[in-house]
Amino acid sequence: MSTHPILDPTRALPFPQAALPVLRNPQLRKNIAHATDVIEAKRDKLVAEKTDWQQLRSAASAIRAHTLENLAFYLEQFESRCTAAGGQVHWAADAAEARQIILDLLRRENATEVIKIKTMTSAEIELNPALEAAGVAVFETDLAELILQLGDDQPSHIVAPALHVNRSQVREIFVRRMGLANLSDDPEALTAAARIWLRRKFLTVPTAIGGANFLIAETGSAVVVESEGNGRMCLTLPRTMITVAGIEKILPRFQDLEVMLQVLARSATGERMNPYTSLWTGVTPGDGPERFHVVLLDNQRSSILGRPTERQTLKCIRCAACINTCPVYRQTGGHAYGSVYPGPIGAILTPQLMRMRHAQSLPYASSLCGACYEVCPVKINIPEVLIDLRAQIVDQQREQPYRLFDPMYLGMKIANLLFARTWRFRAAQRLGRIGLRWFTANDGWIHSLPGLGAKWTQTRDLRGLPAQTFRDWWAARAPHSDQPSGKEAQ
Amino acid sequence: MTAPSSSRQQILDRIRAATQLTTHESAPVKVAPETNLPRTYIHHGQLTAQARIALLTERLREYDAELVECTPQAISSTIAAQLAATGKHSFVAPHGLPAEWLVPGFQWTIDHSLSHAEIEQTEGVVTGAYCAVADSGTIVLHHSAAEGRRVLTLLPDWHLCILRASQVVETFPEYIDRCPQPPALATYISGPSATADIEMTRIKGVHGPRFLHVILVRDES
Repeated sequence: MSTHPILDPTRALPFPQAALPVLRNPQLRKNIAHATDVIEAKRDKLVAEKTDWQQLRSAASAIRAHTLENLAFYLEQFESRCTAAGGQVHWAADAAEARQIILDLLRRENATEVIKIKTMTSAEIELNPALEAAGVAVFETDLAELILQLGDDQPSHIVAPALHVNRSQVREIFVRRMGLANLSDDPEALTAAARIWLRRKFLTVPTAIGGANFLIAETGSAVVVESEGNGRMCLTLPRTMITVAGIEKILPRFQDLEVMLQVLARSATGERMNPYTSLWTGVTPGDGPERFHVVLLDNQRSSILGRPTERQTLKCIRCAACINTCPVYRQTGGHAYGSVYPGPIGAILTPQLMRMRHAQSLPYASSLCGACYEVCPVKINIPEVLIDLRAQIVDQQREQPYRLFDPMYLGMKIANLLFARTWRFRAAQRLGRIGLRWFTANDGWIHSLPGLGAKWTQTRDLRGLPAQTFRDWWAARAPHSDQPSGKEAQ
Repeated sequence: MTAPSSSRQQILDRIRAATQLTTHESAPVKVAPETNLPRTYIHHGQLTAQARIALLTERLREYDAELVECTPQAISSTIAAQLAATGKHSFVAPHGLPAEWLVPGFQWTIDHSLSHAEIEQTEGVVTGAYCAVADSGTIVLHHSAAEGRRVLTLLPDWHLCILRASQVVETFPEYIDRCPQPPALATYISGPSATADIEMTRIKGVHGPRFLHVILVRDES
């Protein structure tokens, strides 16, 4: 937290550089390791007790894939049902249009203040700075978002955005911003302070902005999954509710909730069910807001939809299980990803939202171990998408004039040449053996290499090459020994 | 007020182009009836009525919700005992709550379009429920006249929910089966308001009711 994290992919540093401040901050690493350990252990335990987990995953994956295949139909169905129920549906092609629609709605309401439910989509479109620039005071009501807002910090996780902040740091922020000198760092006391701080806002601010976990096409309903009750407050008390949601948040039918809600809480927070789930349909006279708006956001999603391998990115239900299990995220935390969407899902989603023009280091921020795919409740094959995005980035780089100065590019070009002909490969092997002898110590290990090779040897040793290559060894064998002996054949 | 937006057409056109190009079927399907999707997960539980209630009780207690059982004859006296134990006096109730549940000795406010401030003044709320799901310890409200408007079970700090054993299902799909049609409003409550935002520790009581009590009426034969 010493350096202010930048979550705008157009301005963020490449991942390896952006990760450095975290890797050098032991407190931050401890907070992240603790939080991800706790959440992953809870998730694993509750998934293990579910005997039909794999069947639920298959159903969830199939529902999401089917929705995407028929997205235009379901969006139109949602629009007509929501409108019939008294809601208003708006369509935003990109982030700027979504912000403008929301600002226009707020102007019509004469709104000077809004209360907000945590929504990553609003972070994606950078809504808060736009609201503040227009003179609208924003009150985040999710506890984690409140901690970040008061601490002038940025989210590092999509489910628990303040996961990198520990209790004593929360206390410090609350003491400073709420003027509560005697506050203890007991989480219950901190939570109680937030309850009191926000209560009056809930009761007085007439406009709320939130997201949606699901939009149900069959009924025109929206669904918000939460824990604290701040979502219920925002969905119930104000006069006007504005929901901003990506076009992929659609579910075909109410019945589909029986699958999605069973997998979501277990994957997200390691609970059998989150404390509160709210479903509402348009406007209900006498119960809740008098005006309800949905802003459907495209922002590159329709182009992701058109790529067969990448389409599965849009199946995501934002549970963050991939983030919690990722060995890279667990070391670096979320800020290193330079996006509001960190971790494996962020590594595939962010570059695509940026039309592959920014965040190009993210598809490489993975060891391709596949843990993310294994835990994903909707079976997004993240490693497959990562590899495809890497290929797209390499294709782009092929077009760049500076490629001739890129050692990696040149190295690959040379490797390509060498591997193309047997004699070249043999000659290169021979030369390589002679060359590496200079760097091989008496103990048979290479401890340090120059240039690009140093990236390997600065953290580990490399075994020196053996005296004979496999090819030489094979050729030198007696011809009859090609047949396996009877003993080996068993 | 909202002119038909060109973005709408543009987005829908882009989606149609994207999905038709990559659909595996030879002819693009306008909409699949969704009958072919695999739904092999557990729909119906196997527990006996007794075990189902025991599971719900266990789950609710894990969430730090209190649960007591009573016979149909003892509902009023059980409500009275629960209310008395809180030390609170002022309770609010939805207008459809059975009259015999409004036990004497307490100050009752009945919700006929009460203002938020009036609801906020009360110390607790007593409601019915649509059903409950034992597997996840979830109380389902569809906000009927006996369950109350959404705000009613939100602002008071203490919520007493009266549930009949015959309303308890084992799995979430069984709840969906119980809906003759999808509800327009629904709230699924699994324990009192909570957060895990500070160090992933579940802390009870943020903005919703900090105390959730359930009376389970053993009405099954």
